[in-house]
Amino acid sequence: MEFVNPEGLRLDGRRPMEMRQLRAEIGVVSKADGSAVFEMGNTKVIAAVYGPREVQNRSQQSNDEALVRCEYSMANFSTGDRMRKPKGDRRSTEISMVIRQTMEACILTHLMPRSQIDIFVQVLQADGGTRSACINAATLALADAGIPMTDIVTSCSAGFLNGTPLLDLNYVEDSAGGPDVTVGILPKLDKVTLLQMDSKLQMETFETVMQLATEGCKAVASYIREVLLENTKQLESRRGV
Amino acid sequence: MVGLSLGEQTFIKGGIDQDLRTDGRKRLTYRPIFVETGIIPQASGSARVKLGATDVIASVKAELGRPNPSYPDKGKVSIHVDCSPTAEPSFEGRGGEELSTELCSALERCLLGGKSGAGAGIDLSSLCIVRGKVCWDLYIDGLVVSSDGNVLDALGAAVKAALSNTAIPKVQVSANAPSDEQPEVDVSDEEFLQFDTSGVPVIVTLTKVGRHYIADATTEEESQMSSAVSVSINRQGRICGLTKRGGAGLHPTVILDMISAAKHVSEQLMNKLDSEIAAAEACDEMES
Repeated sequence: MEFVNPEGLRLDGRRPMEMRQLRAEIGVVSKADGSAVFEMGNTKVIAAVYGPREVQNRSQQSNDEALVRCEYSMANFSTGDRMRKPKGDRRSTEISMVIRQTMEACILTHLMPRSQIDIFVQVLQADGGTRSACINAATLALADAGIPMTDIVTSCSAGFLNGTPLLDLNYVEDSAGGPDVTVGILPKLDKVTLLQMDSKLQMETFETVMQLATEGCKAVASYIREVLLENTKQLESRRGV
Repeated sequence: MVGLSLGEQTFIKGGIDQDLRTDGRKRLTYRPIFVETGIIPQASGSARVKLGATDVIASVKAELGRPNPSYPDKGKVSIHVDCSPTAEPSFEGRGGEELSTELCSALERCLLGGKSGAGAGIDLSSLCIVRGKVCWDLYIDGLVVSSDGNVLDALGAAVKAALSNTAIPKVQVSANAPSDEQPEVDVSDEEFLQFDTSGVPVIVTLTKVGRHYIADATTEEESQMSSAVSVSINRQGRICGLTKRGGAGLHPTVILDMISAAKHVSEQLMNKLDSEIAAAEACDEMES
């Protein structure tokens, strides 16, 4: 199947190096300490952060640092075919662990010992790149909750089909069976915190694709910074500053 | 939720006694309702309803299926509710299952009638395509994103809005199929039929706090309740379902009084909801 036509356009009309449209909103769940909605094209994800709060399970309490927990669940209606089991399946458990490890790397946990930070991510619409959208949404939600972090974490995926590196795969491109590289970076520190790949790639091509994904992450980072700045300005004006 | 102090509890109860609740509402006034339709493009119909800080999403998916052999000329509807942990940290893992099952059975009681489909809010015979062979299966999924009390009413409103947003594709059945095999059905991609929701009821929950009842309680008010009665009423003023929650016993006259109060409230709610749904659909059409 042709994923990049001879004119260089993909199935949804994008160029190979073009990302899908990003949209983010902060503070959607008023009960949560921090929350955000993040959309990458048709993928829509809501993240809520509760914490730092008292540890629920005393045996897991740590005296030097905060406990970070994460749960990823997909809504029944998020995929094309209705999902039977929204959480608890292997994929959800794996993604929960991945998000937790990625966010734990950037949260300054030693500042909040004997406490717990819960990150809940709910996928409302899945169209490829849910992992990345979840990490981006979690970053925004943590920022909204005012939890101290060394840097924001942004994530983006890239693939290689029809001999072309493609940025930000959607569901159709993802299920084509080609490689799918997901990268998560700390943009200011320029460090990679998450790197996952499916399928196989040649070494040189892998470098190109990973570089492309990293560029995508940086673009997401500048968008997230804009959103956070806008949000702070609104808070300032509400306080009458 | 952080526990309420004695002073806060007295304040809430006192306010309700004097017909002036903590957020300034009267006893039987609903919070502002905000409806958005068509938010899930891959579903046949969907809606998001915000009732104050309570936020729920409902989606309707229509799939082809076989009718139940005992009721060959009726389609099938199945309702499922999921409580997202974003609403409440305690809903993590299997924590939300109890509330999900309770909401699910309350919705089923209100929207679906008896086994034969008699008295249902949704007309099941309109879902039949070929008697005994092919029918539409409607899967209604609810998701509680944020909960600040009165989730059942919000879900009821969301299901009603999602159903009015549902477009069932037109089907053409091949006429010359042998009688015992499954006939071939051609599902149209362009032509749709709007689902008829004039019979779908709304759910009104009245919470009894002290000697008075309030409509649309917030989580704090719900924590002070002695019992709650959820009544589902349709446009004709007929009761479609009834659920009583809470341990305290109610005198039968009190229940009848609550039902008539619910009927009165439901008229305003029904009108408000219908106008919000119409506005949302108009918004939707302008955008697309």
